[in-house]
Amino acid sequence: MFCLSELEDTVRVPPSDLNLPLEVAIKKALQKLFLDKVLSIGLCVSIYGIKSIEGGFVLPGDGAATYKVVFRIVVFRPFVGEVIAAKFKESDSNGLRLTLGFFEDVYVPAPLIPTPNRCEPDPYNRNQMRWVWKYGDDEFIIDDSCQIKFRVENISYPPVPTERAEDAKPFAPMVVTGTIDDDGLGPVSWWEACAPISDAED
Amino acid sequence: MRSFKDNERSLARLGFTQDVDVCRVKANAGALTNFEVLNLINSKGASKDTTRVIAAIARSEYKVCDYLNETVASTQTLESVTTFSDKCKDFKLAKAEILNIINIRPSVDFKALLDPIIEEPKERGIDTDGILELVQDLLPPLPVVETQMEKDQDETNNGEES
Repeated sequence: MFCLSELEDTVRVPPSDLNLPLEVAIKKALQKLFLDKVLSIGLCVSIYGIKSIEGGFVLPGDGAATYKVVFRIVVFRPFVGEVIAAKFKESDSNGLRLTLGFFEDVYVPAPLIPTPNRCEPDPYNRNQMRWVWKYGDDEFIIDDSCQIKFRVENISYPPVPTERAEDAKPFAPMVVTGTIDDDGLGPVSWWEACAPISDAED
Repeated sequence: MRSFKDNERSLARLGFTQDVDVCRVKANAGALTNFEVLNLINSKGASKDTTRVIAAIARSEYKVCDYLNETVASTQTLESVTTFSDKCKDFKLAKAEILNIINIRPSVDFKALLDPIIEEPKERGIDTDGILELVQDLLPPLPVVETQMEKDQDETNNGEES
């Protein structure tokens, strides 16, 4: 789910931080720049460590010192085929939306929900739709009662939109598409109850 | 004196361009298991600070910490993870599959969970039962829900006292 990336960047340490030890000041500036932001390599989660610092020049007209820093950060970038446990967030007629707490844009589109299934208006929540999987005689509901395991199918980085409708969803710079249509995937409670059946399938 | 790079960077901060102009030395310097990330955040002080204000950890890092604490990564130790990945080498598994198994921890009763992780086990001659036994021996499962709820109650009590 996570990997390390080594980056090199020019970091500007504001004058207010110049009394701190150099590494601390640079780490603070790096955190402000990178943490919780999506780069082309993924969502930056944490600064792992600084490898080298060079420079320290003060450009004319500026009170801040500029350093060239090589550092490593931890990025959230799941690989295709990875199985991740997530929580149910909401669902609509297009599919499910799952959340990982720190990352909320995991979508399971309708074709990747095990068939045969049906979508019905949620009796508990007027605005939402509920997905139900029909297997044999049993019906399994997808809701927020337990963790949902999904397998990553695709990660996309949609480009920044230039115009948006007023009530559109907030822009998601990184979208993970997952599938729950396989053995062992989907809500955990499905497999806890059915362990003997899945062995018989194999 | 503002260079082209500075201008691009400020545009990126305003949200107009997607790519910050950062020189990438190595996009992938190594994959990390959930346990290693949890260890990293905890070593920065997240575990000791229950108020979440004192330690120099960002709110987003706390969210990652919360997520990881609910997975099996919270019960693993460095030795168990390294021993497990060493022993996995005998089983002819791909690195990504070992990573997946460490993060998900399929249990012996949950054999179905190993199917989406390992591709074509029979064709590759992989001993899935042996792997599950190794998981059972080396990687501890999540504590039962009741214990977790008691732990949460203890934490809130401590918070009130302090």
